[in-house]
Amino acid sequence: MTRYYLFMVLFVLFIIEGTTFQIFAPDQYGVEYLFIPRWVFLVIIFAGIFRGRGTGTFYGITFGVMYDVIYTSLLGIYTFGMGLIAYLLSLSIPFFQKNLTVAVLTSILAITVLDYYVYGMMYLLGLTVIDHHEFLTVRFIPSLIMNMIIISIFAYPLRKWFHFLKRRMEEEEKI
Amino acid sequence: MQSFFSNKRLIILLVCIIILVALIGYSMSERRSLSWPEQFISDSVGLVQSAFSRPAHFVAGFFENVNDMRNIYEENRILKSHLDEYAVLQVEVNELRRQNEELKDTIGVKESLNNYTVRSALVIHRSPDRWNEFIGINKGRQDGIEVNMAVMTSKGLIGKVRQVSEFTSTVQLLTDQDISNRISAFVDGNETIYGFIEGVDEETGYLQFTMINIDAEIKEGQSVVTSGLGGIFPSQLLIGEIVSFETDEFGLTQTAFVQPSADFLRLDHVLVIERGTTTLHPSIDPDMDGEEPDTESDEEGEDSES
Repeated sequence: MTRYYLFMVLFVLFIIEGTTFQIFAPDQYGVEYLFIPRWVFLVIIFAGIFRGRGTGTFYGITFGVMYDVIYTSLLGIYTFGMGLIAYLLSLSIPFFQKNLTVAVLTSILAITVLDYYVYGMMYLLGLTVIDHHEFLTVRFIPSLIMNMIIISIFAYPLRKWFHFLKRRMEEEEKI
Repeated sequence: MQSFFSNKRLIILLVCIIILVALIGYSMSERRSLSWPEQFISDSVGLVQSAFSRPAHFVAGFFENVNDMRNIYEENRILKSHLDEYAVLQVEVNELRRQNEELKDTIGVKESLNNYTVRSALVIHRSPDRWNEFIGINKGRQDGIEVNMAVMTSKGLIGKVRQVSEFTSTVQLLTDQDISNRISAFVDGNETIYGFIEGVDEETGYLQFTMINIDAEIKEGQSVVTSGLGGIFPSQLLIGEIVSFETDEFGLTQTAFVQPSADFLRLDHVLVIERGTTTLHPSIDPDMDGEEPDTESDEEGEDSES
């Protein structure tokens, strides 16, 4: 049962990103900045750091597929991007696990790379015409700040939770 | 760390890139219907999304109501003043409707382009990355939704159905920047002026109403409605109001900017419109995508004969 906890949490976050957050999104109330939640991906990077490269890549690809199918209808972009970035940044070595700041910085680096990668793909495929300056000021920086605040708040509980999961799974294995 | 990019991994990466390109090419092909794994994923996730969106819409609606309560007095005053005009208008409308029916009876027209049936649906998601303007609704093929049906709110047209799954479907809003996202429309005035609604203008945020005849006389404040000539939309669905217009870059046509009457940001319940009449009689219909207005007048002629 414990092994499905992570999937369930990620899935609920995924739904919240697309459904609940979009109903309350600030740009509906006259704010000109776009806040793009990347919470699923932040947790995936944390999972990669605390549970190993295999886990990170697996969830990266799984939720990449869901992003592609449900939100973009352009297959492949998120699957490849989230999978590859999660693979590269799943640095599950003690230095990253002990230093929470480093883990937070890694996850922020991950969403930066992901955002730029998706923007580049959309630009390449001609699906967007906005220039780099507008992308930076309207979308990227506000989203980055929002995601940064969220992950800074939840980094500590998240680490506790991953340790808790690890302990529970070890206990279950003994039984 | 030592084997970060060993030979084997490099090959896997290259294969992945090839698959990525192939997938993008596959999914960018026009008029692709959803494959069954995609339908399975969107249907099962859609179920959960519906469960999440109902309470969220309820809470959002509650706060909106509280907000509305503050300017209720002002609104009430304005509405009361409109009410007198409304009574006069109502009489006029009834008179015109009766007249219209009589005239239709005399010439034998039974169906017209503005017959339609309405299904209401709940908005269950919106793409969080906002690179496209798609929303998901909780009605699919099982409820009779088909690709390219018009979608509107009570205030006006918002878009068309893009992809249909069994229990959910994706709606492409008018504001989406896709090149193929265009809708045939006309200006409701003394003379009908035809054109296309094509995405939004980046600077102003208004909808672009393009391909207007250079000689056409447009006025600000005129309303733009769907023409029904595309073959799938009914006619007379309100899109918005013209705020400004200009000659296009080649000087051959005019472009007008339209303020949409519907609110594209706060969407909770939408209406999916199915047109009552088919463009062509089923026995002579080669395929259902007749884009030419001529076929439509043909079929009306045929109807009146029979």
